[in-house]
Amino acid sequence: MAITADDFAPTIALDGTRKVRGNMTQARLRWVILAIVLGFATVGGRLVQLGMIQPDNSIEGVARSEITATRPPILDRNGLEMAVDIRVPSLYAEPRRIIDVEEAVAKLRTVLPNLSESWLRSRLTGDKGFVWLQRELSPAIEERVMRLGIPGIEFLTESKRFYPGMNEASHILGSTNIDNQGIAGIEKHMDVEDVALLQDLGLARGNALAPVELSIDMRVQHIVHEEMVDALTRYKAIAAAGVMMDIHTGEIIALASVPDFDPNDPSSALVKDSFNRITAGIYELGSTFKTITIAGAIDSGAVTLNDQFDARFGIRYGRYTIDDFHGKHRILSVPEIYKYSSNIGTIRVMQAMGKENYRAFLTRMGLDTRVPFELPEMRLPNVPKNPSDISAATMSFGHGLSVSPLHMAVAMSAIANGGNYIAPTLYRRSLEEAQSEYVRVLKPETSRDMRYLMRLNALEGSGSQTEKVSKGYRIGGKTGTAEKVENGVYSHSKDFNVFAAVFPMDDPQYALVVVVDEPKPENAQSGDTAGFNAGMMSGRIVQRVAPMLGIAPNFSQALDDAMVPPNLIR
Amino acid sequence: MIRNINIILIFTSVVMLSGVYALKFAIEHTASERTALIALIDSQEGDLSVLKADEAVLNQPGHIEPIVKRHQEALAIVPVAQKQFGAFADLPMRPAQPDNAALDALLASLDAGVDPIDAILTSEGIE
Repeated sequence: MAITADDFAPTIALDGTRKVRGNMTQARLRWVILAIVLGFATVGGRLVQLGMIQPDNSIEGVARSEITATRPPILDRNGLEMAVDIRVPSLYAEPRRIIDVEEAVAKLRTVLPNLSESWLRSRLTGDKGFVWLQRELSPAIEERVMRLGIPGIEFLTESKRFYPGMNEASHILGSTNIDNQGIAGIEKHMDVEDVALLQDLGLARGNALAPVELSIDMRVQHIVHEEMVDALTRYKAIAAAGVMMDIHTGEIIALASVPDFDPNDPSSALVKDSFNRITAGIYELGSTFKTITIAGAIDSGAVTLNDQFDARFGIRYGRYTIDDFHGKHRILSVPEIYKYSSNIGTIRVMQAMGKENYRAFLTRMGLDTRVPFELPEMRLPNVPKNPSDISAATMSFGHGLSVSPLHMAVAMSAIANGGNYIAPTLYRRSLEEAQSEYVRVLKPETSRDMRYLMRLNALEGSGSQTEKVSKGYRIGGKTGTAEKVENGVYSHSKDFNVFAAVFPMDDPQYALVVVVDEPKPENAQSGDTAGFNAGMMSGRIVQRVAPMLGIAPNFSQALDDAMVPPNLIR
Repeated sequence: MIRNINIILIFTSVVMLSGVYALKFAIEHTASERTALIALIDSQEGDLSVLKADEAVLNQPGHIEPIVKRHQEALAIVPVAQKQFGAFADLPMRPAQPDNAALDALLASLDAGVDPIDAILTSEGIE
């Protein structure tokens, strides 16, 4: 029997133990490597995934950094705080983390009973990551809410603007909204104009911002504000406002307008009539305009202090006759026209200058454009472009054109400081900076003549009430009593009174404009013309603030004599 | 040989492992300390801001004036009047020589019972 290979099962080939082990190890190694690669891939993938996530830092649509951002403190010119930031806790909830809404509502209402139950329930229900519950709470309330221990109810420290002066500088400072953004006054100006500051605000958390220094002197501001508040009771006026300006640098020292509001409670700013009458109110400023008319006429060379004008008869324009209030009805010299506040005389002075020249002069003094100023609450003046003869005549004594009291303060500054127009500012400005911005609008000699006239009016004319109160501080100024327009006609019972002054007249430093709306006589002996209210208020203000501003009283007659222009024939 | 190295390596890794863990816990501790400090600083800054605001309120002229008015009577104080101001420059210079004649005249008038200061006081409205 032949043995063939077919009869045999295939050869059993046995690998050696070593080889078997080697193969098995290789297989295991492959599996392990696979597992490790998979593991690393998972970790890497997760890392990439985490890296792709955009963290949502906004709080109800507002960037978190913006809410917690601080604002720079605002200081007055002596370093006294006018606005500071305080840190306050604000309550918020993370609805997706709240376990029992009903329990949270019940517990929260034990501490904050003013929150309505249904509102709170709808607020806490849902899958939102962040909802405000109540902002700007006190630390005591924070403590009590924390004690409740409700999960998902947390506090965030916010910056809240606080105005320690309360109402006193409300119109200057304006206010901020709950997100600490300026909504009025200098606060708004800081946000709108100062782009650098806005950028800072994003990074401002915890960083101490350099304080903003204003030109305001809070001591003067307090006194001006107090006198304005006093006028509401003393003269039963419906409103009063005053502004004081450094005539050389244009810095506003004080600016107050009542009725006003409490910047700590911005909703009080919405009360009717609490607008800033100095910048956002335009009025017919009456006889105070005679200062401007006469200054323009003297500067044009058409009129000198020695000229005489016929004020015997009223001036007729068609059906209308313009006459003087308590008129002298004789030939008047220029100082007399100013002193007796003659309408007829002022019209003649304007006519000597020519109405086109007069209108051009108003433009030169910046009276027909918006005053360049930081506050956003400004109004355009209303000055006729091509006045008719009668319109120019009434404009010469301050009727038929409306400007803001700030316009008047700026004009007074230019008239008294040697004839240089300087725009007002609420920030600090040195004399050198101001001088580089000077625009010459009057000759220095005109300024000297006008200073004499203004002082003369305080000594002998309508400003004598003021001089009585502020004797020694050499005030000079002009009153204006304008009848208010009611239903299209001038009312005889409702006046708008103005006093535009500069002091001390021998070395002029400050311009002061005070306006009173619808004042009544203080007592039976006093009248209701401007001298008795706006004038007296100015006198009291100057009497109180002059020592603070470093102006010593001087009763010397020689100072007044030295102010008389050498070319004046008396 | 290899065994010894392995033993050394195992020991080092155990030591390093415990070191890493110790470091981890130390860092966590420091981090929580830091968080606590930040919270403390935050709350103190908050307190400070409130104190500063308080100080600012107390310094306001509008806050001080009512206090002055309240104590006006007790302290016998009134706002300063214009004539109360003076300056060294306003003082007359000392005469170069003693004015003997004036002194004699003064003494003579005092002897006669007339005190010139009374006339000045009356004219100033003090007496």
